[in-house]
Amino acid sequence: MSELFFLPSLPPGAEAIPWYALLLLVAAIAGEVVHRWLHLPRLLGWIAAGLALGPHASGLLDAKALAGLRGVLDVALGVVLFQLGQRVDLGWLRRNPWLLATSVLESALAFAAVFVVLLLLDVRPLLAALAAAIGIATGPAVVLSLTRELRAQGQVTERMLLLTSLNCIYAFVAVSMLLAWLHQEYSDQWLSIVAHPLYLIFGSLILALGFALATLGLLAVLGRREEAQFISVIALVVAAVYAASMLKLSLVLVLLAYGGMARAFDARRRFASLAFGRLGQILFILLFAITAATLEIELLPVGALAGAALVAARYAGKALGVFALAPVSGLSVRKASLLSLGLMPMSGVALVLMQDTAALFPKLGPELAAVMVSAIVMVELLGPAVAYFALVRAGEADESGRT
Amino acid sequence: MEALEFKQSAPLTLGVELELQLVNTRDCDLTRAASDLLALIEKKPHPGEIKPEITESMIEVSTGIHARYDALLAELQAIRGTLVAAADRLNVRIAGGGAHPFQHWSDRRIFDRPRFQHVSQLYGYLAKQFTVFGQHIHVGCPDGDDALYLLHAMARYVPQLIALSACSPYYQGVDTAFDSSRLNAVFAFPLSGRAPFAVKWGDFTAYFERMRASGIVESMKDFYWDIRPKPEFGTIEIRVCDTPLTVDRAAVLAAYAQALCRWLLVERPNRVGEEVYLAYTYNRFQACRFGLEGEIVDPVAGVRRSIAEDVAVTLAAVEVHARELDCQEPLRALEQIARAGNDARWMREAYADGGSLPDLVWQQSERFRGM
Repeated sequence: MSELFFLPSLPPGAEAIPWYALLLLVAAIAGEVVHRWLHLPRLLGWIAAGLALGPHASGLLDAKALAGLRGVLDVALGVVLFQLGQRVDLGWLRRNPWLLATSVLESALAFAAVFVVLLLLDVRPLLAALAAAIGIATGPAVVLSLTRELRAQGQVTERMLLLTSLNCIYAFVAVSMLLAWLHQEYSDQWLSIVAHPLYLIFGSLILALGFALATLGLLAVLGRREEAQFISVIALVVAAVYAASMLKLSLVLVLLAYGGMARAFDARRRFASLAFGRLGQILFILLFAITAATLEIELLPVGALAGAALVAARYAGKALGVFALAPVSGLSVRKASLLSLGLMPMSGVALVLMQDTAALFPKLGPELAAVMVSAIVMVELLGPAVAYFALVRAGEADESGRT
Repeated sequence: MEALEFKQSAPLTLGVELELQLVNTRDCDLTRAASDLLALIEKKPHPGEIKPEITESMIEVSTGIHARYDALLAELQAIRGTLVAAADRLNVRIAGGGAHPFQHWSDRRIFDRPRFQHVSQLYGYLAKQFTVFGQHIHVGCPDGDDALYLLHAMARYVPQLIALSACSPYYQGVDTAFDSSRLNAVFAFPLSGRAPFAVKWGDFTAYFERMRASGIVESMKDFYWDIRPKPEFGTIEIRVCDTPLTVDRAAVLAAYAQALCRWLLVERPNRVGEEVYLAYTYNRFQACRFGLEGEIVDPVAGVRRSIAEDVAVTLAAVEVHARELDCQEPLRALEQIARAGNDARWMREAYADGGSLPDLVWQQSERFRGM
């Protein structure tokens, strides 16, 4: 041992902690800059900070450092999905069934539009279908973060959140169904063709149910003290994220369904005052910044045209679905047009679905990325700005929250 | 400037306005939904009139003019049905109650109309704190002099109406110890309280013209009195009631006001003079603070008793008139309220049972539906 053992060894080790500090600090400053001088939502600053620090831009955060941050990314996404699931009132679908119809229609049309456009671009059907299925999902983190920052309330906001949580579920189910097709192509074992999608869907739902019931049981014991509620729910959400990955189930479906069921079975409304507050904010920042850092922006120009076509087709499908049923579901044409813009964001969940598929079928990964990445990068920047514009124009953003 | 003309209206006809809370289904806090709700309702013909109020979390409904309780109740129930159906489609819930139990006034947004924006600028935080919800009862009067007589004669019974309707015990997240905390928010306004003593319409007009000429008010709307004349309708407007938790109770209160007015107009049992107001603010405080258990002092008649007892005595006096107006049934319901307790008591019990204010609001919204 050197006699100067008390001095730090250089370069510092690959621990994650300093990277968190750096990412949070830069993102927080960028968020304030964007908010104060550009009068845009902070999350655009967080995304920009992630992009700038990431391995595909400045490279300050290299791939190794990024891998170290992966764990928190899943937890952050888990908390977002749980919150979204918890916010959504499934009883609303019963009281206004046209909303369920709207969600099915906008998802189906978005899928169909993207699928056809990709086929026209000579993408093979299996890949086109997979990309189209992933494209069904609206980015839950974006819509939730915007709603929170703008303290938005109203029909565009509420429907955007409801449709987002539903289309994330549809996207996941569609991708799971396509797994059967993939298994057929890559392994041709009938058991995995049938059993894998079923395991993913029902396994995730059962796990979610278990966590929801455990949570409600725990809250019944803890009573209505907000702090105790908050801490125990965070702990259970983290446990659910871990359980989902350990059981090779879907993070997206488990956490969304967990939140949704916890709300739906909460007959005594014990959850009423649960809020994720400052911690939620930190997780949002990390989620956006880390996600942005992983984006391969250098692929943007290569697939720009195809990406733009995909984004346009997806938007057209969603808009058509929302417009078609707006009158019967009780929404004005003006608000329908804004709602369709609000559904444009796509990122976190799309990336997770892409990575999950790529992990199962490594050969498929790069091919799928080539089709999707440029679209995802585009929407990563465009989506939040467009959704922000929609909420403000709808008059649903809080004036004091905006300035 | 045109003179303040009192339009004649059919005596003792009734009209009711209710200010209602719009809350979300998640944590039952007030939510900005008035524009969306009105846009949905206005598409089709609907009963009553449904209008925006000063903040986006509030709407006001008003009935047509009714001679009898039955028809009034039927219209209120029809309006309720329309509202609840529309709110269900938008994932919004509607609740009665004089104040939202835990909303934070700083979160409120002023509805975008020139008058509301003006009020907001003038009164600052008071305008947002004024997110309280009242029931206004209009009673038709044959002429201005009768209207003023009725206005001052009714002052004696204002504490009863406050105590019977009181349902705003919680405000900004705490139990205020008041049965009606809403009226405290109203009292903060400079032109609140009681109307000046005048029994001739000409004298009242002169007063109003002086106030207008000196620039203190622009119209009758700037007076926030407990009871004010509404010359363009030919009515007096009783404004002290909290919006009850159900439309049925709103109709019962209106029926009681109608019977009281008939008794006062026909029998003229009380001499009306400035001394009516001797114990006015004391009695009103008692009613707001203690509800039906509060004490009422009538220095003219030399009476001092609980408000609940006072209601019972008054009910006996108006019985003949209730029969004439076909409103014995609602007055029996009113007697029951005086005996068993008002909605403020129900709210305190519901809170004790459910354990949280959001849960209480949920239960209020269930009651509004008629569940």
